[in-house]
Amino acid sequence: MSVESPDGLRWFDCNARIGPWSNPQLEQFTDIDGLLAAWDRVGIEAGLVHHTWAWEWAPPQGNAKLLEEIAGHERLRPCFVALPPGTREIEPPREFAAMVRGMGGAVRIFPNMHNWRVSEWCAGALFDALAEQGVPVLVDVGEIDWEGIAGVLERHAGMPLIVLGFYYRCDRFAYPLLERYPDLYLESNSYGVFEGIEMVCARFGAERLIFSTALPELEAGGPMALVTYADIPDEDKQKIAGGTMRRLLGEVS
Amino acid sequence: MPMSLQDYAVTGTPVDDAHIVDAHAHMGPYFNFMVGDDGSAAAMVRMMDRLGIDVSIVSPHIALTCDWLEGNRHVAQAAAEFPGRIVPFVVVNPHAPRAAIDAEIAHWHDTTGIVAFKLHASLHKTDTMHEGYTAVYEYADAHALPILSHSWSGSGGPMKVIETLSGRYPKIEFVNAHSASGWAVIDASCELAEKFERVHLDLTGSLLVYGGLERMVERVGAERILWGTDSPFIDPRPALGRMLCAQVPDEDKRKMLGLNAKRLYRL
Repeated sequence: MSVESPDGLRWFDCNARIGPWSNPQLEQFTDIDGLLAAWDRVGIEAGLVHHTWAWEWAPPQGNAKLLEEIAGHERLRPCFVALPPGTREIEPPREFAAMVRGMGGAVRIFPNMHNWRVSEWCAGALFDALAEQGVPVLVDVGEIDWEGIAGVLERHAGMPLIVLGFYYRCDRFAYPLLERYPDLYLESNSYGVFEGIEMVCARFGAERLIFSTALPELEAGGPMALVTYADIPDEDKQKIAGGTMRRLLGEVS
Repeated sequence: MPMSLQDYAVTGTPVDDAHIVDAHAHMGPYFNFMVGDDGSAAAMVRMMDRLGIDVSIVSPHIALTCDWLEGNRHVAQAAAEFPGRIVPFVVVNPHAPRAAIDAEIAHWHDTTGIVAFKLHASLHKTDTMHEGYTAVYEYADAHALPILSHSWSGSGGPMKVIETLSGRYPKIEFVNAHSASGWAVIDASCELAEKFERVHLDLTGSLLVYGGLERMVERVGAERILWGTDSPFIDPRPALGRMLCAQVPDEDKRKMLGLNAKRLYRL
């Protein structure tokens, strides 16, 4: 199915989820139909999804559940939740990374919630394998902190790291990292700095910002308006809306 | 076929089909993070033009932190520079001597008049029951003015504070800021508005949970909900997109976007 927004942007949501979770509200949805309806209302074409089982219960089972549920849904691309290799709960790093890349997917990590560290002694082999395959990794800043982000980027060049959930108090951390590490990307959803989108585009390039909604937790209209009302060229809007994420996932335009 | 309000957001078109009042804006730089173009009045008006915001009601960051008098001068200057576009909130630091507060209120009364007050007790490191706010409450009550407060903080929480203040000052309209910052806040804010007719709910905040606005409209009605952005503390575009794309009728959106504020603040 092709969904095109009225202004011709091809929206790709890098941060959505499906499945039940611990404290849903009546207004929120937990299934694919709900997500697709929310995307359709505003013209989002496709996106990456992870499964709540992998987030709040068990990553291996959640990843399997994700594949089962999104089978046949061309608009949904898998976002697998990864664990470090020490406990052998998921596939060995190289197999895991190759599997993710082969499916055109990405990886989400929750180091704090899932009780592991992004340090070399814990997750170095995982990130090495993901970097070899160029698999994008998404992480909420609350799961890792900016020091951890800097360390991962320093040690694992070639692994696109998309940072989520940093809101508007971020630039004194983000700017020096954007300057230093070309593999760092910021999700647009939470980038609430006044005129920040124009400043990042001018200084670092539009390809460093990636559209996301955080559905079904948050609304989609807000992050879309941040892009549509931006004072930047249309080609830059297209990159943010979905062009860069599709490229990182290996999609040929 | 006319555009829906959502169409404006998804195409990035300045809204010309609704009177939009940003009922919770700030101005200037801030210590805690970078603000684009130093959050100047000119930058704010430029952004307002890009989005179709007609009026912003403003309290400068400096007024809410270290220098309330300097901040009040900044917003007076901005309002003079952009008449009808920038409207001042008068800010009072409750730690100032009563004579200084009275003098500042009198200065505004004698020059441009006072549209409304903005309280930020937490940044002024106190709560809204501080006796230094007495002059504000007395003036607002005498002139039936709205007061926007970051939170109605004090012993017993907002319910008790509003109960006390609304009993003591029967003509003040109480605007509860950041009423949509998460489900627990939404429910508590709705409860406040359901109990007190003179409470209005301000939507300003960095995020809006999916379906949160719809719940608020269902519980308290669109008439007592005010749209605001915190701009330039936060970029105003996400707040506009959230409202324009909400799953409520456009007529309700128009009320929240500006008609309610126009009536409440007598703009």
